[in-house]
Amino acid sequence: MSTSVHETSSVKEYFAALINGITTTVHGMWITFRYVWGVKHVSIEYPEVREVLPERARMRLFNDVLNCISCTQCAMACPVDCIYIASEKKPEGAEIKKTSNGQPIRLTLTQFVIDTALCCYCGLCTTVCPTECLTHSHDYEFSQYTIDGMKYDYLAPDVIAWRDRIVKS
Amino acid sequence: MLNDLVALINKNVPGANAILNQAPDAKLDSSITVEATSIFKVCEYLKTNSEKPFNALQCISGVDYMERMEVCYMLAHFDVNDVREFILKVILTDRVNPTVDSIVSLYPAANYQERECWDMFGVTFRNHPDHRRILCPDDWEGFPLRKDYVAQKNYNGMEVYPDNKMNFEDREFIVRQDLIKKAQTAAATKA
Amino acid sequence: MQTHWDVGEPDAPTINKDTEQLKTELLRLNMGPQHPATHGVLRIEIWTDSEIVAHAIPHLGYLHRCMEKHSENLDFRGVIPFVDRLDYLASMSMEWTYAMTVEKMLGTEVPRRAELLRILTGELQRIGSHLMAFGTYALDLGAFSPFLYAFEEREKILRLFEEVSGARLLYNYIWIGGVWNDWTDDQLARVSTFCDTMEEEAKKYHDLVSMNKIFVERTANVGVLSIQDCFDYGATGPVLRGSGYKWDLRKNKPYSLYNEFDFDVPVGIGEVGQVGDCWNRYIVRMKEVIESIKIIRQVIDKLEPGPIMGKVPKIIKLPAGEVYVRAECPRGELGFHMVAQADAKTPYRLKVKSPCFTNVSLLPHIAPGQMIADFVATVGSIDIVLGEVDR
Repeated sequence: MSTSVHETSSVKEYFAALINGITTTVHGMWITFRYVWGVKHVSIEYPEVREVLPERARMRLFNDVLNCISCTQCAMACPVDCIYIASEKKPEGAEIKKTSNGQPIRLTLTQFVIDTALCCYCGLCTTVCPTECLTHSHDYEFSQYTIDGMKYDYLAPDVIAWRDRIVKS
Repeated sequence: MLNDLVALINKNVPGANAILNQAPDAKLDSSITVEATSIFKVCEYLKTNSEKPFNALQCISGVDYMERMEVCYMLAHFDVNDVREFILKVILTDRVNPTVDSIVSLYPAANYQERECWDMFGVTFRNHPDHRRILCPDDWEGFPLRKDYVAQKNYNGMEVYPDNKMNFEDREFIVRQDLIKKAQTAAATKA
Repeated sequence: MQTHWDVGEPDAPTINKDTEQLKTELLRLNMGPQHPATHGVLRIEIWTDSEIVAHAIPHLGYLHRCMEKHSENLDFRGVIPFVDRLDYLASMSMEWTYAMTVEKMLGTEVPRRAELLRILTGELQRIGSHLMAFGTYALDLGAFSPFLYAFEEREKILRLFEEVSGARLLYNYIWIGGVWNDWTDDQLARVSTFCDTMEEEAKKYHDLVSMNKIFVERTANVGVLSIQDCFDYGATGPVLRGSGYKWDLRKNKPYSLYNEFDFDVPVGIGEVGQVGDCWNRYIVRMKEVIESIKIIRQVIDKLEPGPIMGKVPKIIKLPAGEVYVRAECPRGELGFHMVAQADAKTPYRLKVKSPCFTNVSLLPHIAPGQMIADFVATVGSIDIVLGEVDR
């Protein structure tokens, strides 16, 4: 081992090392012992108590399809290519709706799927979105039994129903 | 600074044939190219000389330019008073079996770096004490960072890129985007 | 071709002349890949003579994710999430260095506030990373509670980062040309209070671990590296400074705005043990925490409102050429060798010179003659992160 105290030391050094060992250990134990009383807990009992996430927390993606103009910029920006979009041109004479920030929706969105199992939660897709319809929600409990369950079709009615909870205003 | 160094190398290492690759822009790095056969002597000179010694090798980076291979040695001098570093290059025209002399006996740091370069680019280092792959498994085929690399089909009885784990939707998406783009350009040219 | 399970038995070294007659066959022992003391998935093949290590052969690549190959197919902004995952304990430093590489080629001017915020996050990250190193090192040597104390403080840093960037570990916060989000005054005030508590906490850690007799016995005079060894093997960061060489890129080759700041570069001076041993490498990290706090306080004084994003084209295209940029990360000097071609949206080649990779190459050099338990202490003191070693 490091220093062979026990082989070469004199009696005086031996006791000095012993006392040093005891004092430093007691010193450290005293610091630990002070935590018995009066120190606030730093952990929380998770399933019952939940931490409030910060405003910018990046959890599961949510796309508000009513505001989406199918520009595919998010799919292009995605470094892991986990966003799949398909759209078709609206028939002539159809009513052109506008998004919440006034952009005309010229295309009909036919597919908007995100494979959350591939997603790396980097947030690049949300920063390029021109209508701010693609956002990170604060849902973090979405484990699934199969890997296919991680694929979210944002045009499905049950997923659209999240909108009331996630989209403010 | 690199001009002086080129002159020093050419003066002291015969046959080094050092050339300065001046970067066209101040924001890019210039480098020095030497003959591949004389890399050991050049490094020996650079390490042991008294005028401008370089005491540390930072990394060895291979670059595949399709028609040639380059091996870049980032040399640096760790000295509080005189900080300097530069990129030393050798160009290997033989892409099938590129070979350079190893500099492990000069800079032990080159040991792992050269192994990585062999692993990723297939550059053989002559006289390397432990010439094995480092990051890939030893029985892997091909050199991944070459530009023409195609992954092998099977590895030890396992399928590489099995269909059930591939992200085909993404490929379909890209193909679809290409089709849309083609249709758009066709429409634009028609109009 | 030789395979890794067939290296052949190395010759037994002469470890002790008195016991040479008793020399027996060497025993091969696998440390890792799931050994807790290897901080990830490092496998070290150790040839031992009784309890003394004769040879150590690291086998890398268990966490190899082909990051360099991936980045050749990604646009310059898309590389940042991948760069984050190199050293997942110091992501800010990684993406900062990458951003500096691209900015150097682009010639982008980064606004002053963004530079200061980068220094702020970089130094907070350094504290967080060193706290992790401190905690896991004590854990390696059998002390469990320092780990929890260190995590309590590290949690505050992560919370701040989560508020400002949105993620706790893989931030994607430092972008090419600036930073993503601005810090509010409230958050900066919390950083100030964190600095005050951290100073007291650092004292507490010092009392708890540094001078503890058991800790000193395990680390002092163990795994001694001379300065020449460090130069030969290209070791940087706390390993080089622990050997007593005052070398820090922030001081010796200042990048960003580091030349405006007043701080010291702590080196191992051998208060306990000898210069270059595990204890000195450990204490250099603990002293660096204090220096980082100094820098953070100066940053908060200097911060003024202003833009946080420079002018960067929407689609980044770099001029043809190459650069090699290095910066001081918590574990040593990180370098990026970027080769770009004209009119390409992706890097042509991105080579990462990771400090841990070079530091791991020291292990076969230090190991011979050490006890197995000392070898664990040595691996811990070098403080490797396997995400960065294997890339």
